[in-house]
Amino acid sequence: MPPAAKNLFEKRFLDLQKLLFKEIKMYEITFTLNGEKRIVGVQSNETLLDVLRYKLGITSPKSGCERGDCGTCTVKLNSQIVKSCLILAVEVNGQEVLTIEGLMKEGFTPLQEAFLEHNSFQCGYCTPGMVITAEALLETNPNPTDEEIKEGLSGNLCRCTGYIPIIEAIKDHVKKRGAEQ
Amino acid sequence: MAIVQEFKYFKPKSIKEAVSLLSQHKNSAVLAGGTDLVCNLKDEIVSPKAVVDIKGISSLNGITFKGKRLKIGALVTFSDLIKSEIIKGHFPLIGEMARAVASVAIRNRATVVGNICSAVPCMDSAPVLSVYDAEINLIGPEGERRIPISQWFKGNRKTSIKKLEMVTSITIILPAQTHAGCFVKLGRYAGEDLAQANLAVLVFSNHQYRLAFGSVAAVPIRAKRIEKALNGNPLEKKLIKTAQELIPQEISPITDIRASKEYRMHMCKIMFERAVKAAAERLEGAGPGYGTALI
Amino acid sequence: MNDLKYVGKPSPRIEGKEKLTGATRFVDDLDFGPGLLYAAIVESSYAHALIKNIDTSRAEDVPGVVKIVTGKDFPYRFGLYMHDRYVFAQDRVRFIGEQVGAVIARDPVTAKKAAALVEVEYEELEPLLSVYDAIGEKPKGIIHPDLKNYFHVPWFFPRADTNIAHLRKIRQGDMEKGFEEADFIFEDEFIVPRYAHCAIEPHGAVGFLDHSGRLTVWTASQSPYTQRHLFTQALEPLGFSHKDIRVISPAVGGGFGGKAGVSMEILAAALATVVKGSPVKVLWSREQEFYNTYQRQGVHAKLKVGVKNDGTLTALEEILYWDAGAYVEYGANVVNAAGLSATGPYRIPNLKIDSVCIYTNLPPGGPYRGFGYSEFIFGLESHFNEIAKKLNIDPVEFRRKNAIREGDTLAYGGKMNPNGLLEAIDKVAEAIKWDKEIKSDDPNIVMGKGISLMWKAPAMPPNAASSAFLKFNEDGSVNILVSAKEIGQGFLTVMAQIAAEVLSVPPDRIRVEEPDTDRNPYEWQTVASHITWGCGNAVKRAAEDAREQIFDLMERALGKKRDALYLEDAMVKSHDETDFKLPLKDFVIDGIMMEDGTWRGGPIIGRGMFMPEFSSALSDPETGQGGKPNVHYTVGAAAIRIEIDKQTGRIKVPKVALAVDAGKAINPAMVKGQVIGGIIQGLGTILYEDMRFDEKGKLLNPNFTDYKIPTSMDIPDEIIPIIVEVPQPDGPYGARGIGEHTMIPVAPMVANAIEDALGIRIKSMPITAEKVALSLST
Repeated sequence: MPPAAKNLFEKRFLDLQKLLFKEIKMYEITFTLNGEKRIVGVQSNETLLDVLRYKLGITSPKSGCERGDCGTCTVKLNSQIVKSCLILAVEVNGQEVLTIEGLMKEGFTPLQEAFLEHNSFQCGYCTPGMVITAEALLETNPNPTDEEIKEGLSGNLCRCTGYIPIIEAIKDHVKKRGAEQ
Repeated sequence: MAIVQEFKYFKPKSIKEAVSLLSQHKNSAVLAGGTDLVCNLKDEIVSPKAVVDIKGISSLNGITFKGKRLKIGALVTFSDLIKSEIIKGHFPLIGEMARAVASVAIRNRATVVGNICSAVPCMDSAPVLSVYDAEINLIGPEGERRIPISQWFKGNRKTSIKKLEMVTSITIILPAQTHAGCFVKLGRYAGEDLAQANLAVLVFSNHQYRLAFGSVAAVPIRAKRIEKALNGNPLEKKLIKTAQELIPQEISPITDIRASKEYRMHMCKIMFERAVKAAAERLEGAGPGYGTALI
Repeated sequence: MNDLKYVGKPSPRIEGKEKLTGATRFVDDLDFGPGLLYAAIVESSYAHALIKNIDTSRAEDVPGVVKIVTGKDFPYRFGLYMHDRYVFAQDRVRFIGEQVGAVIARDPVTAKKAAALVEVEYEELEPLLSVYDAIGEKPKGIIHPDLKNYFHVPWFFPRADTNIAHLRKIRQGDMEKGFEEADFIFEDEFIVPRYAHCAIEPHGAVGFLDHSGRLTVWTASQSPYTQRHLFTQALEPLGFSHKDIRVISPAVGGGFGGKAGVSMEILAAALATVVKGSPVKVLWSREQEFYNTYQRQGVHAKLKVGVKNDGTLTALEEILYWDAGAYVEYGANVVNAAGLSATGPYRIPNLKIDSVCIYTNLPPGGPYRGFGYSEFIFGLESHFNEIAKKLNIDPVEFRRKNAIREGDTLAYGGKMNPNGLLEAIDKVAEAIKWDKEIKSDDPNIVMGKGISLMWKAPAMPPNAASSAFLKFNEDGSVNILVSAKEIGQGFLTVMAQIAAEVLSVPPDRIRVEEPDTDRNPYEWQTVASHITWGCGNAVKRAAEDAREQIFDLMERALGKKRDALYLEDAMVKSHDETDFKLPLKDFVIDGIMMEDGTWRGGPIIGRGMFMPEFSSALSDPETGQGGKPNVHYTVGAAAIRIEIDKQTGRIKVPKVALAVDAGKAINPAMVKGQVIGGIIQGLGTILYEDMRFDEKGKLLNPNFTDYKIPTSMDIPDEIIPIIVEVPQPDGPYGARGIGEHTMIPVAPMVANAIEDALGIRIKSMPITAEKVALSLST
């Protein structure tokens, strides 16, 4: 709020200021992003996807359709995968967000190794969302059937691979992990 | 993608606070999962001056089952329904429907209450809630009230909700008679789709039946005529045929870019037959497991 | 060829880690700083209308708006093969969604708000929404009244004052005789609608004109050099020359042809010129991706085929009416390419083919995986299958009998290259056990089997060239600079493997760099499935050039006998001296020090260029004979088993096999990846994808909610990729391209399997569950 005017000249200046300045409500949110506490000011109409990509420099979640159909914006919110293009940034105040960068605190994961081995990607655009979704699937369902894998991935569209190499990588990873235990 | 509208955001900690906010900001929208609201904001279908995020109200969480009464809170997501032991044990039909909604990441956010508040004709939850004779619990500045689902839907995207009210939960009384159910959804393929037709059926051990269709009229249709024809009779081929022939009297599907009315009508007959047979088999402890795709 | 060390191996992708860790940067991921401006497009709401007036005053008043432009600011025509297209519509609009103007603002919300305030006054004209509206004695209007003044390549033949932008004619043999010789003549018509590429990354571009007059454009593009050329041509009136414009293509999230040529990217280039000193981003929404980028053209095919009792084809008369859209600067070549090859991979002595490119008031048609072949093969292979059945000949036998062979005459007079078509047919038939009768126990389920052949030649100008620079680093690793584009096909790895084979440096020690027209040498476009062949040859030559320099140096500096030298394990070795093993890293930058302390050599830099010198587009416009427009064909076959639920019409695929003759699969894993991806994309077009326009020409389903592309739940139970290798004589290690081909046979093969299962021939795409169920219930 601008201070009260001391004289007529100041009053006229402050009146002019009121005409020129529009108040924008910013909401300060505090949340954990990939394990790190972040504080950032956002407007209520900014989506989580937009804030991640354009304010915080995390470009791995993508804007493929803006309707929650394609899955390229998939991130983890607390313990679940969500479509970040359909979440307002303000909603994640006090929550935990994980993107693919956060998955790799200890480097390339065994699932990513499996994806590399099986060529479970081509252009790479759907890949960050696909990896997050696959990792989350295996967290909630460590030994999925083929049908459960397909269902688990069904919210992530891929135009290049035809999905089969992705499914094979997941199955192979589960098998290898089972053999190790 | 930029949302053009500007709105205030609030996150009340109690229902009282939420109701107060809705009254204060006359043009406001309730935000739970957001899979519907955020999309509508982007498409500029709605322009609320305030968005009231109810996710901070813990009393809206939870699935409880006490004294045969199931209560689904306003914040319960479709994923919650799928994981719930209560639903698995007592209301497997609800779990079957929840699995058919969209895909995992959407189900983790989208709520059943949000689904019925949107009242879009292709809702998946409506036919199931209809055959359970669910009740919708609301609260507003004038206090609480309860509306049976049969009076909830008024038209395409229209419900009986009053301006400053919000839904707090849905309640269902578990039918006393032994029963089994089936939910079938018509999509254009096996992947995620909005229903071009869907239906829910309950088959009771005393030869009583409940049937509801969705996405084949502006509102879900509880098929009372068909129920009347079926009730009291054991399920067999002729009875199914009789019921199928009554379907055109119950539903009025339209032709749109998703499906023609002829195909929707045709499929409702097929879906009904497969669903009622599956439910009858499940009643005997046999039949396809809940969640098996029947079409 | 047996002792190849790197070529022929399923090497892991060299860019794999980048993509899997989210490190890959696409156009919208690049950071241009706080000065970045954003553009929102004012779009036409009519399919065909005259623009009477544009009032931008209300939009200009919105704070944060920097500049607003319309067609009068850029009155320039441009295009790839024909100049019929504009940066912004000029006096009229020709499809719903066409760009009429743009608002450039400091943030995307402001741009969007202001764009909605631009008021355009139109005078509606009748929209021509089908080919039949546009041709004939009395078309409903003329969409390009100025057609006769448009520049075009010499192998296009537009008809002035009509809506026919190009007509490719093939006349070969004697049609009368051909039909006389036939025991049967079969006629039919087939309809294939439009399709959308649906690459998961939407189009995007950022343009930046700095105060020195340098224009840099970052584009998600398959064709940076062609883009630079078209930008220069289009903006030449503003004083640009090629060296003033730089195009950089970062990672591309899928192209499938949709990101070839120039579509929306011109906007970033043009808009940059009006906001000098600030970069401006133009980013397409998913909706715009559907209605304002290239679409796969629709086609109405009429076929008349003469055949003998024993199944030998005697004559083919084919008319293809292409719904090519509002602008055909690229799409007309699709019509051309299809016309030249509309026989499919068959030997047919008498031909009369008319491939007609027709303007309509729908989004511009353009290149889409298959480039016209997927479109015409639906009708051709469906029809041939019908003929086989009517003659009581097994469909596989029919294909074998009529399959084109090496040396046969092609539709335009050239000769067919070596190919493994018969092997492909045999292998796919075997893979699905064609001769075995398979039935379902479920009375509701009916099973069917279908086969289709496919072929395609790269459709390119006769002088489409590729080039490569190859440079060593101090540690013996290699950077290869090309301007071909990794769009997912895996070519970076294939180039590395080729260079690895020549230089004995393993592929994981080789980087292949993304295009920058300032730094990387010329590549025509990454289209036509020609990069493995064309750019592969260029890279091979660059590697060989480097090797020659290495051997030169060995001779000059160390007196080694050149003929005995070879490269192995990243070292120079000699057959004459077994203990001579000089690691490349010791000299590829530094050179070799002589006894007297002076040095010889220096950085080894290889250069390679490949342009076919035997290809010619000059042909007789009336007969199509005389040129050599196609460098070679890649052939293949596919066979499928399907299950149909007779009540619901739903189709499931238990098994599908596809064999493609890659000549030499430089990386078999990449080839298999293309087979799987192509089959799924093909299944999308035949079973699910259904573009709907309303009666005014508006696209009703510009989103994934209602344009259904396959998900992980919609895949076949089993896909059997088969690689056939009959070497391409002029390909690197015998390789030829396969990227588009794997999609081509899918639609007709499924239609044939449906006919086999149900006895019903459906002659239009898509064949949805609804179409099947309703045709069964009536």
